[in-house]
Amino acid sequence: MIMYLLRRLFLLVFVFIALSVFAFSLAYLFPGDPLQNFTGLRQISPEQYALLTSEYQLDKNYILQYLAYLSRIFSGNWGMSFSSQQPLLQEMKMLLPATLELASYALLISFFIGIPIGILSAIKPDGVFSKLVSAVAVAGYSIPIFWWALLLIMLFSLGLGWLPTAGRIGVLYEINHVTGFMLLDILLAATQHQHEALLDALSHLILPTLVLATFPTTVMVRFTRDSILEVWEQSYIKAARAKGLSRGQVLYRHALRNALLPVIRQIGLQFSTLITLAMITEVIFSWPGIGRWLIDSIYQRNYPAIEAGLLVISTLVISVNMLTEILHTLFNPLARKR
Amino acid sequence: MAKFRLLPDEQLARSPFRQLWREFARQHSAVGGLLLFSVFVFLAILSPLLTPHDPYIQNDAMLLLPPSWSEQGLVQYPFGTDDLGRDLFSRLLVGARYTFGIAMITVIGALIMGLLLGTLAGMSKGLKSSIFNHVLDLALSIPSLLLAIIIVAILGPGLQNTTWAIMLAMLPQFVHGIRNVIAEQLSQDYVIAYRLDGANNWYVFTRVILPNIWESLTLMATMALSTATLDIAALGFLGLGAQSPSAEWGTIMADSLDLIYIAPVSVAVPGLLIFLAALSINLVGDGLRNAVKKRREN
Repeated sequence: MIMYLLRRLFLLVFVFIALSVFAFSLAYLFPGDPLQNFTGLRQISPEQYALLTSEYQLDKNYILQYLAYLSRIFSGNWGMSFSSQQPLLQEMKMLLPATLELASYALLISFFIGIPIGILSAIKPDGVFSKLVSAVAVAGYSIPIFWWALLLIMLFSLGLGWLPTAGRIGVLYEINHVTGFMLLDILLAATQHQHEALLDALSHLILPTLVLATFPTTVMVRFTRDSILEVWEQSYIKAARAKGLSRGQVLYRHALRNALLPVIRQIGLQFSTLITLAMITEVIFSWPGIGRWLIDSIYQRNYPAIEAGLLVISTLVISVNMLTEILHTLFNPLARKR
Repeated sequence: MAKFRLLPDEQLARSPFRQLWREFARQHSAVGGLLLFSVFVFLAILSPLLTPHDPYIQNDAMLLLPPSWSEQGLVQYPFGTDDLGRDLFSRLLVGARYTFGIAMITVIGALIMGLLLGTLAGMSKGLKSSIFNHVLDLALSIPSLLLAIIIVAILGPGLQNTTWAIMLAMLPQFVHGIRNVIAEQLSQDYVIAYRLDGANNWYVFTRVILPNIWESLTLMATMALSTATLDIAALGFLGLGAQSPSAEWGTIMADSLDLIYIAPVSVAVPGLLIFLAALSINLVGDGLRNAVKKRREN
């Protein structure tokens, strides 16, 4: 197990080095002056230019430039955003929690709805319920997320007027940025309208979460169902049945435990798709997260921001991937052997 | 039961493809999906001949004509016109060419490149394959849309750049998948038998491995096709893919988004088409997967 962890750690370091090399080379690949792309400063006077060039070691060879880049990343000097001229790391800290909040709620929904439905539909794979679930799942799998979001907005916001269309909370409420997670921040802020603010934030959350949760939930339903059906064919299930255990006992004691293990890995695999979908959801619901910010950055040709966004999102995805894989190996002795 | 039979069962005597089709045709949803899929392929190839009006000609006498089922609509314009007087029905027909047709092109391109790289990775051993795997792991961990966004940021927005971006973004999963199936094939006994007979790498690949992995290749391609369709539409919708006058479905939706109160049809129908295209691909993919599984069991 320790060997395994060390190997994973080595791989992780390698992947992060490769990622940082890629992010570093983007400053040269993007149009415009590399120094502007590194610093994010719009206007640079000639004196400042010479100073910054030596500070960023742009007059040296690529390896020294890269090392200087790495030390800047670790010391927290990520450059400025072209559009707002604010430090990127600061902006990132404000934006990332909003995306994480949305994505984690969607992931939770996909667990608590997707897995039970998958289990129920695996009990009678040819029954009416199972067929219905399969049909809904394949539809949820193929629906374009922006269209689905617009349909729900048309129905619930414009048609019925139940739910707001954009933002995280009504403009009436002023919530201080503490953790960045809206619901936690409201609970931490001891204002007198805490209850109303909470309800308001929840009503802003419902539609985006629902839209974002659609894809992972259908994936989870299909995955759980297929996994259980596959486990059900195994000989240890036959052995358990032969011992005289009832269907429910077999399901609980043998089938579920073996079938739900790969689900842990599925989280890691789905996480990158989830973040992609979160970016589109944020654009439609004007959710002030990192995805909408990235897409705005493209319209504004804000190259330092795109670079920083790549670094943060990829680091997040890689870490989650690695974590779920290690957890899976920890829980599953069979995977440890390989 | 006799151990050796001169003539095998009628079922088993059929070619693998016939057996597969037999299992596939048993599933109604899959056949329905295949029909819908063929309609989209047909549209993608022939749509310019079918459009009743020029999809790009602007007619200022007929701005925002309602669809034909409403009182003010005209039967010549089934879904009405947009805010520049262009016939929506013709635009949607031509859109199949962009969204669906280009998705097919990207998948075919990615499949060919993936087959090349995946074969090299699957058949090589040692340090070379280990480095390759690590690079792949990195590429797989960057979300495909983010990768496409970065490529678009380097190359600039536009349909052609989107095509390249999506092709490159899909490439890692193809390489990964193909490498795995080839590695699985290489450990099979019949491959070892061929090797003992003195077959070289090329012979083993073309005569032994390729016929055995085409089912997996088709499955990968269908899954990638639905992703590609959705990604092209999403990039078009975000304004990063196909640019405004072109009739890509996502772009049409983005263009008519500000008219959602006046002309909801022009937002609803393109989305419905994207949905149907992805649905048909997924139905075919699911049907194929079941058929492959059942054929293997027999």
